[in-house]
Amino acid sequence: MLNEERIILMTHMASYEKGEGKKNVKIGSYFRSDYIAVAVIKAVISASVAFAIVFALYIFYDFETFMENLYEIDLVAFAKNALTYYGITVVGYGVIAYVLSTYRHAKAMKSLRSYYHNLKKLNSLYDQQ
Amino acid sequence: MTDLLELREKLKLFYSRYEAFLFPLVKFLLAFVTLTAVNSGLGYMLRLDNMAIVLIVALACSFLPVGAIVFFGVLFSLFHMYALSMEVALVGLCVYLLMFLLFIRFGVGDSLVAVITALLFAAHVPYIVPIAVGLMCGPGAVVWVICGTASYYLMRTVAENAQAVGTLGSDAVLDKIRLMLDGLVGNREMMVLIAALGITTLAVYLIRRLSVDHAWTIAMVSGALIDVMILLIGDLMYDINISVPGLLLGSLLALAVAKVLEFFRFCVDYSRTEKVQFEDDEYYYYVKAVPKMTVAMSTRTVKQINTRHARNVSGGRNAGSQGRSVQGQRNGSGRRVTTERTAGTDRRGYGSSRSGRTGDYRGGRSVTIGSTDAQGDEDSVDFDELL
Repeated sequence: MLNEERIILMTHMASYEKGEGKKNVKIGSYFRSDYIAVAVIKAVISASVAFAIVFALYIFYDFETFMENLYEIDLVAFAKNALTYYGITVVGYGVIAYVLSTYRHAKAMKSLRSYYHNLKKLNSLYDQQ
Repeated sequence: MTDLLELREKLKLFYSRYEAFLFPLVKFLLAFVTLTAVNSGLGYMLRLDNMAIVLIVALACSFLPVGAIVFFGVLFSLFHMYALSMEVALVGLCVYLLMFLLFIRFGVGDSLVAVITALLFAAHVPYIVPIAVGLMCGPGAVVWVICGTASYYLMRTVAENAQAVGTLGSDAVLDKIRLMLDGLVGNREMMVLIAALGITTLAVYLIRRLSVDHAWTIAMVSGALIDVMILLIGDLMYDINISVPGLLLGSLLALAVAKVLEFFRFCVDYSRTEKVQFEDDEYYYYVKAVPKMTVAMSTRTVKQINTRHARNVSGGRNAGSQGRSVQGQRNGSGRRVTTERTAGTDRRGYGSSRSGRTGDYRGGRSVTIGSTDAQGDEDSVDFDELL
C-alpha cells in the first residue's frame, strides 16, 4: 500500500540528490581540513598562473625599454618587488579561497545532516510498515 | 490587478506545461543572439560569420548546459580576434584566462548573467543589469556582471582598434600588444562601469533581503540612485562622457523592468502581513509572514448526464460552449447537466487561507440543465448558482 508521507519524503530526497545534493555529497566526502587545503592549493596555483600572465603582459608592454635597461636596472630590487607583489596576490587570493571553502564546507555539512536525518526517518517509516 | 494576476498564473501554467520545450528554445534564441552579436561586432573571420554555423552552434547550445553559450561566445570572439591578428587574440586569451582563474573558477552564480550583461551593453541599456541581477540572483552573480562587462569592453576595444592593428605590419608584435593593453587598462569608462554595476548589484541584493515592507521596491529605487550617482561621480572624476539623458532614461527603463520582475517573482500583499511569536525548547521565534498575491484561474467543467444513450451524442446540445443542436436527438429523452465554473476574484494567498490555492475556486458557478427530447423543445432551464 502506498504511504503518502514516505513518497513525499522520497521525492524531496531524490530532488535534493539530483540537484544541490550532488555537489554537497562530493564536498562531504572530504574531511574539512582536506577540502579546505585542496581549495587553497588550487587557489594558489590559479593565482600564480594569473600573476604570471599579468607579469608577462607587463614585460611585453614595454619590452624594448626593458631590454635596453636590463643591464642598468637593479635586478635584485626588481625581483624583490616582483616577489612581493606575487606574495601579496597569492596570500590575498589564498585567504579568500580559505574563507569561501570553509563557508561552503560548513553549509554543505549542514545540508547533508538534514539529508541524513531524512534518510533515517525514511528507514524508520519502512520499519514501521 | 486581478487580470494581471490571472495572466501571470496562465503564463506560469503555460511554462510549467511546456518547460521541456521552452527552456531549450530560450537557450537556442539566446545563443543565436549572442553569436550573431559577436559576429556583427567583430566579424573578422568570414568563415565564422556564417548563418549556417551560427544556427548549428545555437542548436547545439539548446541541448547543452547554459555555460556552453558562454564558452562558444568566448570561442567565437577569440577566433575573430585571431583572424584580425594573433597578438590581439593573445591579449584576448589572457583577459579571458584572468577572468577564469580569478573569478569564474570559484563557480559562484549563474554564467547566463555574463551573456545577458554583454548583450544589454551592446543594446545600450546596461543599467538594467545590476538592478535585475540584484533582485533575481545571489551575491555571487556580481562576478558574472563584472566578467560580462569586461568581455563587452574587450570586444569593443578590439573593434575600435581593428583599423590601427590592420595598418601595423606583421613584425610590429609589441606595438599591437601595447595598443590592445592601452585600450583595456587605460579604459576608465570600463573601470567606472565595472565599479558602478558591481556596487549597485550588491547594494540591490542586500536591500531586497531586508525584512522591511516593500523591500524590493526600495532596493530597485535605491539601486537606480546608487548607479546614477556612481556613474556621475565617475564622469566628473575621469571625464568618461556618459550621456546623462541616456543614463536617466536607462535607469527609468531599468526600474520598469524591475517592476515587471517583481510582479512575477515577489508579488506580495503587505496589507495582510502577519507577525507571530512563539518558542520551543531552544529558541524564540519572531516570524513575519507576508502572503503572496494569487488568483484562482477560471476553468470549465462540462458534466453530461444522459438517461439513455443517444445514437449520436456528439450532435446533442452543448449549452456550455457552442449553443445547441438537436441533430441526432429525435427520440431521445436524454437530459444533460452542464456545469461551468467561472473565474474567482479571490486575492487571498497561501498564507491566509487554503481557499486561495490553485484548484480551489471561489468564483461563481453556473449550471445549465437542458432536455434533448424529440422536438428539441427549448424548455431548458438556465440558472446561476452562486457558491
